[in-house]
Amino acid sequence: MSTNVELKKGEARCPGAPSTQEIIAGDKVQAPDWVRSESYVFLGDEDIPTDRYIDPKYAKLEFDRLWTRTWQFACREEHIPEVGDYYVYDLGPYSFIVTRVARHEIRAYYNACLHRGTKLRASGSLGHASEFKCSFHGWSWNIDGSNKTVVCPWDFPHVDRQKFSLPQARVALLGGFVFINMDPDAPSLGDYLGPVAKAHIEAWKLEDRYVYLHVSKRFPANWKLVIEAFMEAYHVIVTHPQVAVSNGDANSQYDVYGAHVDRFISTLGVLSPHLYGKHTEQDILDQFTLGDSAAIGDARRTLGEGRTARAVMAEMFRGMFEKATRTDLSAVSDSELLDCFSYTLFPNCFLFPGISLPMVYRFRPDPRDHRKCLYEVLFLRPVPVDGKRPEPAEPIHLADDESFTKAPGMDPGFGAILDQDTSNLFMQQEGLEASAKHGLTLGNYQEIRVRNFEKTVDKYLAMEPKRGDLERLQSL
Amino acid sequence: MAGFSRVLPVSELPPGTKKAVDVAGRSILLCHSNERVYAVSNVCSHAQEKLECGRMSRGWIACPAHGARFELATGRAMNAPATQPIAIFEVRVVEDWIEVQV
Repeated sequence: MSTNVELKKGEARCPGAPSTQEIIAGDKVQAPDWVRSESYVFLGDEDIPTDRYIDPKYAKLEFDRLWTRTWQFACREEHIPEVGDYYVYDLGPYSFIVTRVARHEIRAYYNACLHRGTKLRASGSLGHASEFKCSFHGWSWNIDGSNKTVVCPWDFPHVDRQKFSLPQARVALLGGFVFINMDPDAPSLGDYLGPVAKAHIEAWKLEDRYVYLHVSKRFPANWKLVIEAFMEAYHVIVTHPQVAVSNGDANSQYDVYGAHVDRFISTLGVLSPHLYGKHTEQDILDQFTLGDSAAIGDARRTLGEGRTARAVMAEMFRGMFEKATRTDLSAVSDSELLDCFSYTLFPNCFLFPGISLPMVYRFRPDPRDHRKCLYEVLFLRPVPVDGKRPEPAEPIHLADDESFTKAPGMDPGFGAILDQDTSNLFMQQEGLEASAKHGLTLGNYQEIRVRNFEKTVDKYLAMEPKRGDLERLQSL
Repeated sequence: MAGFSRVLPVSELPPGTKKAVDVAGRSILLCHSNERVYAVSNVCSHAQEKLECGRMSRGWIACPAHGARFELATGRAMNAPATQPIAIFEVRVVEDWIEVQV
């Protein structure tokens, strides 16, 4: 008999399966506190209105109210290692030159000439500058943002060069990531993330990793739909059946850390509760999919007497990965090595701090088409123990209809998973537009991150449009 | 077509560095990137600025003046404001010298 009727909303969990915490507690190398904790909250069970995905007017509201107020990952510090190095970060109509102005100081300038508005650097570019000079008439700015040159100053007696410094967005650094925020009144990045989530991120020491693979592709759906497709393991059994044999999908753990951060922990090397009784431990070991499997190669996966697939894979992966990448993983728990930890940093960044799935996702709306967005995945590896940091990988841009498996360096198994997600999203976007039902119905536990995300979208959309005051932005 | 000209000892172009040399009246930029040596025109196709002080990484060089980037292997312009490629030249290493065909 089910006892679910006696539970409050949101308290039910996958029946007949161990919890994520119980699986992790059985590991040989024990996990740290940030893994061994739970933080679920019930946030309601009403439908999510679908106009947000299908109405282009909604996208305009987001550009005016949401993107202008939120902290966004612009680039990695390693993209701009030297003073004068810059990286152009674009979000819809907005564009910023993120540049290192001193060894420990990074700024983000609005990417537009204060003469007649030409971009000072092209979108999507990076490089090194001793000045930012406009390619139209030649006005230029020092890398500290102060005006350097007004060409033919005799014709501009009304221009006070002291008042012509480049306006800035706010910048904050965390884990090797450069975050920016256009809102001078926004909370600090630490307050925005909250102390618990910030402590988790700090514990990972992602500043000690480097980008070894960077792939981007346009997805055929609204950016929020795409983000939500990566927030739950509920879809694994149907969308990615090849993975379910080695994934604790229905018994994954979901946590909420305030409006801007949530996560799931999805254990790997264990059988899906949907498949109990149908597979052996050897099957689980054979079908274990890793995001970074290059270190394992074609090594034979042998299950010893009385051992579990999870324990064998942890041991095997630890040894081979350390050797292949010249890293020390001796203090890293089995869970951190193997499991999928997915954190969302509102609005558009996912961090996966695990070692076998060592990724960052970023999603950016297409300003010309609310039914499209740009997806990027960056794979991070620990910096080798000899301390020499490799240069970050050059992005590989896939065509809209190109398979992720075609990206050089992409694990074929993982590329196939992303292809399966892409197909769903195209069907979902069109389905929402065709549907007689105008709301998404969500599970209370497995889809709590989707609800948390959309509640936060609602919070920002209820605000007035935010447009920065030039003088304030110049004085940041 | 002219033959190869000996321009620089390999030892003077360590990985991650670049150096401008004059060959047959042209300014050529030698670039050691992605474990290869490339020889490209030292002049940006956008506004004729010198590329030699630009940032080089992972097989590209960025013009320091306005930020155009070029692929070292092909000369292709990777981003605005350049649209046209820069010239590239055959390069080889003989007896520890870098030789370029201009």
